[in-house]
Amino acid sequence: MSTNHNHDHDDHAAITHDELPGYYEILEISLRELLIEKGVITADELRRQIEAMDTRTPAVGAKLVVRAWLDPEFKKRLLADGVAASAEMGVISWDDTAFTVLEDTEDTHHLIVCTLCSCYPRSIIGLPPDWYKSKEYRSRAVREPRAVIAEFGTIIPENIQIIINDSTANQRYMVLPMRPAGTEHFNEEQLEAIVTRDTLIGVTLPRI
Amino acid sequence: MITVERNPAKFKAGDTSKITVKFPIGHYRVPVYMRGKEVKIVRSLGRYINPEEEAFGKNAGNKLWYYLVSISQKDLWPDYKGVDEDLLEIEVFENWLETI
Amino acid sequence: MSTESLVKRLPNDIGGTECSEKIQMAEREILPWEKRIHALLEILDFHKIVNTEEKRRGIENLGTEMAGKLSYYERWVVSGANILLQKGILTPDDIAKKTKEVSDRYGIKL
Repeated sequence: MSTNHNHDHDDHAAITHDELPGYYEILEISLRELLIEKGVITADELRRQIEAMDTRTPAVGAKLVVRAWLDPEFKKRLLADGVAASAEMGVISWDDTAFTVLEDTEDTHHLIVCTLCSCYPRSIIGLPPDWYKSKEYRSRAVREPRAVIAEFGTIIPENIQIIINDSTANQRYMVLPMRPAGTEHFNEEQLEAIVTRDTLIGVTLPRI
Repeated sequence: MITVERNPAKFKAGDTSKITVKFPIGHYRVPVYMRGKEVKIVRSLGRYINPEEEAFGKNAGNKLWYYLVSISQKDLWPDYKGVDEDLLEIEVFENWLETI
Repeated sequence: MSTESLVKRLPNDIGGTECSEKIQMAEREILPWEKRIHALLEILDFHKIVNTEEKRRGIENLGTEMAGKLSYYERWVVSGANILLQKGILTPDDIAKKTKEVSDRYGIKL
């Protein structure tokens, strides 16, 4: 069997911490090297995928929201087809997940959860926080959404209906929060700064 | 020329349906908390590979209709403390939805 | 207690279950190996070598103890390995030999 490991310098340089790898990291390294050796994937592909992952951040979601706040036609397109509208902003869709933006209104607020695993619009806004994947959030968000949202410091008034969305299929969701009062004079950058990751999940509202 | 939809969707927006009480093992995507619940069809989401088969390697072939359905939180949780109008929405494949 | 609920209800199916604990909001940076396994599984899904649903099933099939004790990405890497084995893309001995080689490289005894 070939012992040509074809080690790119990056395979080792990627391990930047001082500790020795634990068991699971050894397993990860092993799977990766085996799959590269067997020609199932290439080191190059992996590097490019990590780079692509790095481009996906909540800031992308903030840009979509702010553009929707400022441009009613874009908002219509975003709500009609999240994938096509985010492509306008340079988001490249690499799989067939459908991306749907859920609009908050004066009487409706949305909250997103995946009780079965951790479905989240990663290909648009990057990785979810650990709490989103936790048993506390996933068990409680569907049962007591208002209490969960309150733990994040937000009270949704009783005249506003909450719609919890439990993602179970290939749809991925992001909240389009309402633009808060008092931001009429804000520029795009200032508006984007108040659209945080947590406002895109719905556990909190944009605050000035 | 008449084209016939060979595999039409069983439900449309506004219909009511009931989620079957059944117990697959190995893999499923309908949480236990939804089993047996009456739901409203919000909209059809088109067709997709049945995840119960996709989980065992099926990547192509016959797809199943699936829907966004909704249920009132107070119908879902007997002790629900929120607001009466609060809703839950969830995606369910047609093999789980009964005509009622 | 009947054990059938362990079979009928997957360990990840916890929506609506009793939980009185507060949301733990502390966040930590994803580790490099975790990012790499995430990227690896995205590529495998893209090529439909190990699709995302298979990876989810692999995690569910770990059973209650492992699902409860392994961290998020630890579950991913074990699930990924299991699905690759099930599909005959890797063999158990491939993994045994390679993990030994990798741990020797770091002077670690497995």
